Amino acid sequence: MTTVQLFVTCLIDSFFPQTGEAVVDILNRLGISVGFPREQTCCGQPTFNAGLRKDARAIAEHTIKVFEKTEGDVVTPSGSCAHMFRHNYPELFEDDPVWLPRAQALAARTYEFTEYLVDRLGVTNLGAKWHGRLTYHSSCHTLRGIHVDRQPRALLSNVQGAILVELPHADECCGFGGIMSVEHPELSAEWLKRKISNFESTQSPTLVVTDAGCLMHIAGGLHRTGKTQSVMHIAEILNQQK
Amino acid sequence: MNTFRQRIRESIDNESLQTALDNNTERRLKGRAIAFQSIPNLEERRKWAHAIRADVVEHLDKYLEQFVAKNEENGVIVHRAKDAAEAVKLVLEITQHAARTTHKPLVAKSKSMVSEEIELNHALEKEGIEVIETDLGEYIVQLRHERPSHIITPAAHLKKEQVAELFHEKLGIPYTVDIPTLTATARKVLRQVFLTADVGLSGVNFGVAETGAMCIVTNEGNARMVTTLPPVHIALMGMERLVPNLNDLSLMLSLLPRSATGQKLTVYTQLLHKPFPNQQRHLVLLDNGRSRLRNSPLKESLYCIRCGACLNACPVFRELSGHAYIGSDLSIAPYPGPIGSVISPGLLGGNYIQLAQASSLCGACKDVCPVDIDLPKLLTRVRAGMAAVDDESGTEGAGLSSPTKLFLRIFARAASHPWLFALSQKFASLGTFLLSPRSGWVRMPAFTGWGYSKDFPRFAGKTFRERYRGSSKAGNRETENRPKAQPASAHVNTFPLSDIQFAAELTALGGQVRTVQNPTLAALELLNARDVKKIHLEPNTLDEELLRAAGIEFTQEADPQIQVGVTKALCGLADTGSVLVADGKGDPLKASLLPEVHIVILRAADIYPSLSDAINLVKNKAAAVFITGPSRTADIEMTLTIGVHGPKEIHVFLT
Repeated sequence: MTTVQLFVTCLIDSFFPQTGEAVVDILNRLGISVGFPREQTCCGQPTFNAGLRKDARAIAEHTIKVFEKTEGDVVTPSGSCAHMFRHNYPELFEDDPVWLPRAQALAARTYEFTEYLVDRLGVTNLGAKWHGRLTYHSSCHTLRGIHVDRQPRALLSNVQGAILVELPHADECCGFGGIMSVEHPELSAEWLKRKISNFESTQSPTLVVTDAGCLMHIAGGLHRTGKTQSVMHIAEILNQQK
Repeated sequence: MNTFRQRIRESIDNESLQTALDNNTERRLKGRAIAFQSIPNLEERRKWAHAIRADVVEHLDKYLEQFVAKNEENGVIVHRAKDAAEAVKLVLEITQHAARTTHKPLVAKSKSMVSEEIELNHALEKEGIEVIETDLGEYIVQLRHERPSHIITPAAHLKKEQVAELFHEKLGIPYTVDIPTLTATARKVLRQVFLTADVGLSGVNFGVAETGAMCIVTNEGNARMVTTLPPVHIALMGMERLVPNLNDLSLMLSLLPRSATGQKLTVYTQLLHKPFPNQQRHLVLLDNGRSRLRNSPLKESLYCIRCGACLNACPVFRELSGHAYIGSDLSIAPYPGPIGSVISPGLLGGNYIQLAQASSLCGACKDVCPVDIDLPKLLTRVRAGMAAVDDESGTEGAGLSSPTKLFLRIFARAASHPWLFALSQKFASLGTFLLSPRSGWVRMPAFTGWGYSKDFPRFAGKTFRERYRGSSKAGNRETENRPKAQPASAHVNTFPLSDIQFAAELTALGGQVRTVQNPTLAALELLNARDVKKIHLEPNTLDEELLRAAGIEFTQEADPQIQVGVTKALCGLADTGSVLVADGKGDPLKASLLPEVHIVILRAADIYPSLSDAINLVKNKAAAVFITGPSRTADIEMTLTIGVHGPKEIHVFLT
């Protein structure tokens, strides 16, 4: 039996545990056993992106050690964290002959959740059901960081009963950008406004994302302005069986 | 709040700026996308272009040596400037020496970002030299005492009403928002500048190491004017802007205009080898931090070909425009946008370090970069203190605010210790429940940053790790690990070699193409229709007996009063509708530049499929230009206007 290791991400762990559970349910239904190394924390991206590389290295070393003790592919429901493992860990240890191969080994076995389903398992239909409109936002790091876009779209296109509406400017950043949303709230607010107005133009009550960062950002903006639409992680959509 | 953030707010609140920026973004992105549909294998080209630029930067000393030697052989006086002060001093000395009379020396300048980098205009003006920008957009911002807000479209931040007011006030014309009238006014004023300037100053888009060629591209024709008419030409160039040979240049030229303005080829693609007779040409090669950058982790930023595509694609630039990219001393950074947020601190240090933190690292810049520079990676390197010009740009977390830095350091501590991490989650959860017992969302005050425009989710009562009870028993279904087949290889277009394609391309740009039996008769028809009696004629182009009999006077001397110039074309390019005119007897380069109407005689047999097939024809020419349609600009509100400094009409007679 295939076993994978779940890197659940700090955001899902802390704010949206039900998303992590949806990932586990889906993988289990596909006959995959899911391991969850409990010592995992955060991938370290906030520190890396801010330029605090020494701090980022400490977190990366911890994470590499945690997953080195395990076997199988590492699956994470976040394009952003997958990008961190795949591209930024090797960058962090570029000049470190000891840690670079260890970082590369982790990078080589890491998959974003939808990428794992479609490219690794060859599954595009999970038998999910939905009623009504859905629209998909291409998270920056999923789309441009690890070039995953057709995979989530293929999975969504097979959700029975879902009417997929294309989000105008789906590839534009929502303005989260991790700490940028705190360092430059004015910029972040403008992009968020544009994202929400594009979302509203689809008349879909639900926006689907592959990253909890975009989720908490867009949903937080919707809540602040008293809007009722929701933002959902793709795993939760794909886990709807009735 | 710091001044950079204040400036950002001002930009966001400036409605007319936001409209101008939105229009610029939308049109540029669309134009770029359409332009790239006409060439195959964009991804391969980007990788190839990346490799060429990487090779140049890696072996810069070798290529520079070759480029300098060729230029000296070609009769160009070459100078090396190690910093801005040296470059300014060189230009100043050359200009003072060149001033012909006792009047105030006059410099006619075409666009050069390097001159912005070294703040040349200001320095020259301080020494009593008059400097006039001749690119329409640059001219507008100069009249407004501003710096360009975009490296390709300097006046992208302005609306036509603002230009109308400016011209009314400064040039004394009646107020009008008619863009062709505004453009014609600039043409008239600047024509006098070209004709009387002591020095013409230009930038350089590419230097070709193999032949020493300086390649300069413009749409309006102003770079042709400043490199051709004044007795002294100074070319100002960043020392890294080289390609090894003409074939590499043709690849770059397939990418640069498409990325910059959505054109297949810029109207005037000049290649200058030797100075013109009675002209002195100086080449100033600027280092100004490039050597240091080359030996730093930011090396890849030197691959940039200054197309401005990353500015157009960047959501930050779209809110800010170039004027909000400021240093801690409030000065405007010479290079804005994603590439500017890397090289402004990379070249000039800590003053501009804060720019690199203003990015979500969304990667839109990398996707559009024609030489595939990994800009998000470079931005994180600048943030990690790798610009290392001074203390401020050399520390980790460079440009980050202190509270955020402190928070992240504490966070990092927790994230490297699982028990501490879990404990922090508990506290955070408790905290958000206390703050917001009834809602799943916490309303934070604006000063926290997050609270400025959104609510914060309450931490889950139980985290995933607490809820997780291990994987349920997996089903019995065996799952194969089979990677999906790769997508089919890129679709390849083939282009027909034909005069029909040439005619279609040139006509689409506003040029006229006719197949004629006798070019002299066709020319006479055109001259008679316009009542033109005197023309500038390249020898051996038309039947001179016939012209004389028809009462047409012709000369081989350039004369600004003449309305029609007639030249041969060495070749045509089918895929862009371009013609190649080279220096020679009878001054065809001026005949194709000064008059309002340019008639070109082209043999259909001399039409090549594409620039890459014909580029080596310029190898032994003192100077040559690929002309792609009539002179044009889109500097005011991105509205296409025909006939700026060069001819308004181009007629190709195919024989």
